[in-house]
Amino acid sequence: MITARTASVDDTKALAARLAELARPGDIIVLAGEMGSGKTAFAQGFAQGLGVKDTVTSPTFTLVRDYMGRIPMHHIDVYRLDHLQEVTDLGLAELLDDGAVTLIEWGDVVLPVLPADFAEVRLQYGDGDDEDERHVAIRFVGPSWAGRNRAVWEALDRWAGPRDGPRDGKA
Amino acid sequence: MLILGIETATQQVGVAVGGHEGVLASFHAARNRRHAETLVPGIEFICTQARIDLSEISVVAVDVGPGLFTGLRVGVATGKTLAHALRVPMIGVSSLDLLAFPVRFTHKLIVAVIDARRGEVFYAFYRQVPGGVQRVTEYQVGTPDDLASELLASGEDCLLVGDGALRYSEHFEDVARLEVTEQGLAHPSASSLVQLAHARALREQFVHSWELAPLYLRKPDAEINWERAR
Repeated sequence: MITARTASVDDTKALAARLAELARPGDIIVLAGEMGSGKTAFAQGFAQGLGVKDTVTSPTFTLVRDYMGRIPMHHIDVYRLDHLQEVTDLGLAELLDDGAVTLIEWGDVVLPVLPADFAEVRLQYGDGDDEDERHVAIRFVGPSWAGRNRAVWEALDRWAGPRDGPRDGKA
Repeated sequence: MLILGIETATQQVGVAVGGHEGVLASFHAARNRRHAETLVPGIEFICTQARIDLSEISVVAVDVGPGLFTGLRVGVATGKTLAHALRVPMIGVSSLDLLAFPVRFTHKLIVAVIDARRGEVFYAFYRQVPGGVQRVTEYQVGTPDDLASELLASGEDCLLVGDGALRYSEHFEDVARLEVTEQGLAHPSASSLVQLAHARALREQFVHSWELAPLYLRKPDAEINWERAR
């Protein structure tokens, strides 16, 4: 687990853009966190980091939006869905298999239909009075991100929060 | 009788038109998976080339899968819309049946295999019968290794056809007496669709546009547990 702290929406975007530099085709990023915690802002920053030129808007109503960057990006939001089958019906297998990076807002509730190989980014409001502050917890599941643990750790050093593991990257 | 065939179960888009005289025109494009952008211009193109007005179409045949969701949705929705607007019946044919049909001139066990993505394939087994093929198993979904086990267990000479067979050909290397067909037969053909639909049309095996449904081979569904999150 890697934890970080961001001071504003723009800061969250900057962190996401930094993480995007380490992204590879086929990656899955699960975005977790309550309404307003900054999932879409994170996706916007991530897209910027991938070199996406188009404006990234919330996919809550369209369910899936596609963007072209250094690596193509799928931006999915499952908030309006009630059945796991509906997630599959989005053509999930095809989306995850076409060499893009896939970001899934509220993805933590549909883990049963996702491959067990993803990075989970959980955004939470800060403890203090500063309503712009966010805690960002990044957890890796499966092999694809595990090898990048140290690189992510170093890339996000600027935002370093309290860390529960040794600095050698064996989180 | 003129049949319009629409095939979008894999990354290929295919359309064909024909009837008693056989296939009169067909169009296939396998690049980019731009089903929505390619399908309707494709229909327009073959109708022009065959000098057919849409109003002359008497049956709309559609490949109902199993296959890729994005393509199937476009093909099935377009087929239903056309059938509804033209007030004509429909015929749905499985993508796997369409793959097996062109390789019907073999005594081997025919295995149609479509790439389902994320390490899975759709497949079914067929045998040659006079004039075509007969499916001898259910339509199934599983990993290439599941299929390889079934092929080993069959102990027969097998002919594998389809994009799933090509993509995962190394998984079948250990199966003796097995052959995988080439790229040219990797996708279901809209021409085969028109031919198979024609045989069914002669037997009046039609469905209404509102009855036709894609064959998704769904896994058991479950509700999303939103209690703690939303």
